[in-house]
Amino acid sequence: MSAPAGPMTEHVQGMTIQRSRLQGRDGDLLTVNFGPQHPSTHGVLRLIVDLEGEVIRGLKPVIGYLHTGIEKQMEALRWQQAVVLTDRHDYLSPPINNLAYALAVEKLLGVEAPPRAQVLRVIMSELTRLSSHVVWLGTSSLELGAMSAFMYGFREREKVMDLNEEISGFRMHTSYIRPGGVFADATPRFLEMLDAFIREMPRNVDEYENLLTRNPIWIARTKDIGHLTPEDAIRLAASGPMLRGSGINWDLRKDRPYSGYEKYDWEVAVENGCDCYARYLVRIREMRESVKILRQALDSLPPGPVNIDDRKILPPPREELETSMEAVIHHFKLATEGYSLPPGDVYVAVESGRGENGCYIVSDGTHKPRRAKFRSASFVNIQALEQLALGSMVADLIAVIGTADAVLGDVDR
Amino acid sequence: MSQQIPPAAVLAEGMIAGDHWIQVQPEQIRATLSRLQAEGFTYFLFLTCVDHLATPLLQQPPQRFELVYQLRDLKQRREIRVRVFLPEERPEIASVQDIFAAANWDERETWDMFGIEFEGHPNLERILMPEDWIGHPLRRDFPVGGEPVDFSEDHETWQTAPPQA
Amino acid sequence: MGVEQLLEPLGENVLTTTVGKLVGWGRANSVWPAQFGLACCAIEMMAAAGPAYDLGRFGSEAMRASPRQSDLMIVAGRVSQKMAPVLRQIYDQMPEPKWVISMGACASTGGVFNNYAILQGVDKIVPVDVYVPGCPPRPEDLINGLMILQEKIKAQGIRSRV
Repeated sequence: MSAPAGPMTEHVQGMTIQRSRLQGRDGDLLTVNFGPQHPSTHGVLRLIVDLEGEVIRGLKPVIGYLHTGIEKQMEALRWQQAVVLTDRHDYLSPPINNLAYALAVEKLLGVEAPPRAQVLRVIMSELTRLSSHVVWLGTSSLELGAMSAFMYGFREREKVMDLNEEISGFRMHTSYIRPGGVFADATPRFLEMLDAFIREMPRNVDEYENLLTRNPIWIARTKDIGHLTPEDAIRLAASGPMLRGSGINWDLRKDRPYSGYEKYDWEVAVENGCDCYARYLVRIREMRESVKILRQALDSLPPGPVNIDDRKILPPPREELETSMEAVIHHFKLATEGYSLPPGDVYVAVESGRGENGCYIVSDGTHKPRRAKFRSASFVNIQALEQLALGSMVADLIAVIGTADAVLGDVDR
Repeated sequence: MSQQIPPAAVLAEGMIAGDHWIQVQPEQIRATLSRLQAEGFTYFLFLTCVDHLATPLLQQPPQRFELVYQLRDLKQRREIRVRVFLPEERPEIASVQDIFAAANWDERETWDMFGIEFEGHPNLERILMPEDWIGHPLRRDFPVGGEPVDFSEDHETWQTAPPQA
Repeated sequence: MGVEQLLEPLGENVLTTTVGKLVGWGRANSVWPAQFGLACCAIEMMAAAGPAYDLGRFGSEAMRASPRQSDLMIVAGRVSQKMAPVLRQIYDQMPEPKWVISMGACASTGGVFNNYAILQGVDKIVPVDVYVPGCPPRPEDLINGLMILQEKIKAQGIRSRV
């Protein structure tokens, strides 16, 4: 079969792909399409891979299969309504996304959440990080053939979901952290459950490590795979475990602390391996550090209110509505119009399980955002895939995608 | 801070809610960003666009489109925001993806969503929307879309931009 | 299974309905879903297959990576305009008999995302058998949806899809 000269144009699923006729050592490269429905691409990621034998010579990620229009939708909602959308872009760490948005709104309003709310925010963030990491552990080890870690990981995720349900009434998309504070105070049962969870979690992390850390198959599949030098990590603006797995000590919780993270005693997990195994180790160590932060936060939970006392931003408590006309007016104004933010723009970043999840909001002085942008860690980290996978074997691509831990909802927003 | 940035290029400078920003001429964007990179702002956070169509602001922005580049200095732990205003007709600007590799996809996304052209970008094509999509969804005159919802505040909830006069 | 074509000319009588019951019972208890996760609901779908809920109790733990081996497509999450043709293609690749569960508010109606990017209900492109509400639905909800589907499959027997 003679190949046509010049660039090759394919039409796949309503998309035109231009491929240069690259020449490999033994003739033409083979172009293979992965996804968007593929069990090992962590969602609806699509990759167009040029293969020479089994070696990857070209890689083109195609994203947008989960583009949800969240940023446009936020412009159509009021400031306080938009919280529910922040849950749904990075669906493995909803409270952390809530936190980024809430902090941005609060920064522009010039208010700060009360101390108890700040500690509750830290607790929810760290619980979310744990649940996000165990889901990562389960899915990416499943992709590399280790079924048991999936079962172990989802066992712990259920405990975090139970905690979420206890404190917010919902398993996944809690919308718990809102501008001005949090949805509700922690119940006594929540604190008991959290205490029990903190006690047993280190043992569970030991179990994951027993399964994987010295497992020869796991090491063979991840060690020296997906090399990312520190220079490249900064050049490509990788964040989270991708950055720290390349030996760069940068964690927003330490370096730009928010919500009182500076008060806790913990260490940033940094590994110098620059490979998939290093990223795995970073996540495992982060789980242990999260448990440490959770323990300190639970022990230092101060008494007091969980919301700011500002009737212009948060509605009055239900019982006041029956006795106070002023409360009714405030409630009516908030329910029909919402609050407006002073004109300006602000960027706030928080550390999610995947890296820097930032929220950039622009207000034009009205009660709806002029623009809301999420700087999502997955979108930027997945940009580095080409750097990570070129020259490696096609089977290693799965390990690379797995340890990049992209959530496609976060990539496409 | 201001002495670290090429003074001729800076049109305005300020702080907003603790964030430092400068505004430069569109022609100066490459020079400004390379200078900032040399000064330690090596980490490219994001690039996005704000559409100021029919803004209710008293102080009108100079042009319709505002490009925002956010950079970070990892060593000194500081951030800077660079603003550029672009006109409504043919908004275009030089690409910076060779200075900051991380800007590559952000520029594609900004093209896809706002129709800002980045000159010198090797692969400026749609990234999130299907390739045959018409229009740039995040522009304020692009309707939110979806389906009408009975008994909802349609006029308020689904109209991003006021109707064109 | 091919048995439909053989039995169809015979009409409904004591033989065909008994075979139909048997076939329906068999099909209902081994519904293999396609491993087709889209968004948030996919995580809850995985949780349903995980240790706490164990979808295997209902014969549906075998999530197949290939649509050619699946009976059931669980549309778990929002379907974007870009994904819609892909989803339809996967549905077309599944062999008959096949069923569809629309999991979650986004797949059923577009959910909170009433905008340009999201398909306002997956039933615009594929026929849906069971809608599971929730955002995302709890794993118990998905299991309930699956049990309703099992009743439907049993009632369908060997008759062709109506």
